[in-house]
Amino acid sequence: MKSLVRATVVILLVCALLMYTAHSIDTTSGKSGKDILTVYNWGEYIDPALLKKFEKETGIHVIYETFDSNEAMMTKIEQGGTNYDISVPSEYTIEQMKQRHLLKKIDHSKVPNLKNIDPDFLNLDFDKKNEYSIPYFWGTVGIVYNTKLLKGYDFNSWNDLWDPSLKGKVILVDSAREVMGVGLNSMGKSLNSTDSSELNAATNKLIKMAPNVKAVIGDEVTQMMINGDAEVALTWSGQAADMMYENKDLTYSIPKEGSNLWFDNMVIPKTSKNYEGALKFINFMCDPKNAAQNADYVGYSTPNKAALKLLDPEVVNDERYYPSKEIRNKLHVYRNLGKEKIGEYNELFLKFKMSLH
Amino acid sequence: MEKLNKRSKLYLTFVFAVLYAPILFLVFYSFNSGDSMTNFKSFTLSHYRDVFEDTRLIVILINTVVVALLSALISTIIGTLGSIGIIAIRNRKLRNMVLSLNNILIVSPDVIIGASFLILFTIIGVKLGFTSVLLSHAAFSIPIVVLMVLPKLQEMSSSLIDAALDLGASRRDVLTRVILPFIKPGIFAGFFMALTYSLDDFAVTFFVTGNGFSTLSVEIYSMARAGVSLTVNAISGLVFFVTLILVLSYHFITNRQRLGAHK
Repeated sequence: MKSLVRATVVILLVCALLMYTAHSIDTTSGKSGKDILTVYNWGEYIDPALLKKFEKETGIHVIYETFDSNEAMMTKIEQGGTNYDISVPSEYTIEQMKQRHLLKKIDHSKVPNLKNIDPDFLNLDFDKKNEYSIPYFWGTVGIVYNTKLLKGYDFNSWNDLWDPSLKGKVILVDSAREVMGVGLNSMGKSLNSTDSSELNAATNKLIKMAPNVKAVIGDEVTQMMINGDAEVALTWSGQAADMMYENKDLTYSIPKEGSNLWFDNMVIPKTSKNYEGALKFINFMCDPKNAAQNADYVGYSTPNKAALKLLDPEVVNDERYYPSKEIRNKLHVYRNLGKEKIGEYNELFLKFKMSLH
Repeated sequence: MEKLNKRSKLYLTFVFAVLYAPILFLVFYSFNSGDSMTNFKSFTLSHYRDVFEDTRLIVILINTVVVALLSALISTIIGTLGSIGIIAIRNRKLRNMVLSLNNILIVSPDVIIGASFLILFTIIGVKLGFTSVLLSHAAFSIPIVVLMVLPKLQEMSSSLIDAALDLGASRRDVLTRVILPFIKPGIFAGFFMALTYSLDDFAVTFFVTGNGFSTLSVEIYSMARAGVSLTVNAISGLVFFVTLILVLSYHFITNRQRLGAHK
């Protein structure tokens, strides 16, 4: 009995000591309400130095939390019990969040730096007039391939993936919209298609690709491509940038038929307790200098036109990261197609996966 | 006989090599000055410096340990008393039913437990953060403690208690001087099991963190989306050493007790 009591006391003492340490190094404690801004963002999606700079400039302390998927993030905001002031969901999630009344309108008069954003990235279908969201980063879906292992290919067209010489070499992402999008785009159809006959035709076309498919996987693809274990993969531009940074033999291509343009945007959730601070933060992130610094750190493409001048010209002129106007016109943002259609996409994607052996 | 012994030793070495290789691999690369885990450039401590310079990470690390220790303590106390209660149930059918209910909680998926906790906390108005994480960790650890303590209780002969009562011990004395010392190994085992469960839980914790409070598993999970950086290796290395120290101290405590008993 004595030893049990002793152990309990030791544990409590250790905890008290640890909590005291945490309290003394944690600068957020002791502040509340207007002094605090809670940011909920993807992991590794901001330069930490910018948070410090923001704190210094405004005196508002930032609490930074991270999530790993749009769905998980929305669940937590919808359920309440949190007070996130800023979140950075992708475009289709913003559409859903709007429908469920989870967002606050953004007062544009408090975000003068909005003028720096490229008009091409404003006023898009998922949020007309940008009432609820301000662009943060964007990118594309395309093909990353190893130029050393695959000589003489340029993957200028989606149809190149069907080339019989690529038997057992193509890696796809395990995501219904992206893969179905390949099928649809390769036939010149919209990747937001809701026409069942088009969707079925796309699936049948994809099934013909089956002999070429090496695997349908998630984030593991990054390491495989870097190690040279895989020849060609369907991926997002941000991920491709990471791969290319590690392995110089890799390159990225956006097929000419068109592709998906994805978007992450800053929004102010309903749960926000510091609306003014959130607006200040958005404005801060739209500042060309800060946007450039962030793009440099994260490695994704910034929608901030003024920031482009401050970035390494080699990156900005690289069509893999910043595609030409001509290609950009063929890029489309995902629409929220409703539960039923998404179900159909998933089912057809499953059918395709089942055709692989 | 000699040969068999050698072979079994070899087998044991192999098993441990397989178990520890990934961890050692990870820790090894946390000292890499390059950017990835593909090739080792040269030795550096810069990733550890990054961890210690990032006060947010340190606070999260401390949070994780505090939550693990406290929730393990709470669940050990509740679980131990609970299993004493279960063993006291005379009706065999009822006792088995209570045990099954306990087991259901162990096998039910974390995601469901996490989501239900999130709903519960928001309904009763508990703010997400330290309290919610602590409570939910304690809750999912209790069934494990019960499972660790029960065998010890079943092992204990009821005549021991009868004898104590006959000799004039009060109920309190029976609990503190007979039952608890006898089941102590089970209690410690339960505590350490609860500790590890709390340390590595992601699914439940994800749902109930909030308001600036987070634990390591949640943080690492969202960091890993952008590719596993070597900072993650460094934190994992640190956690591994903390666990190692905990296990060694457990070993030390139990050894000393055994020595003490011999005296």
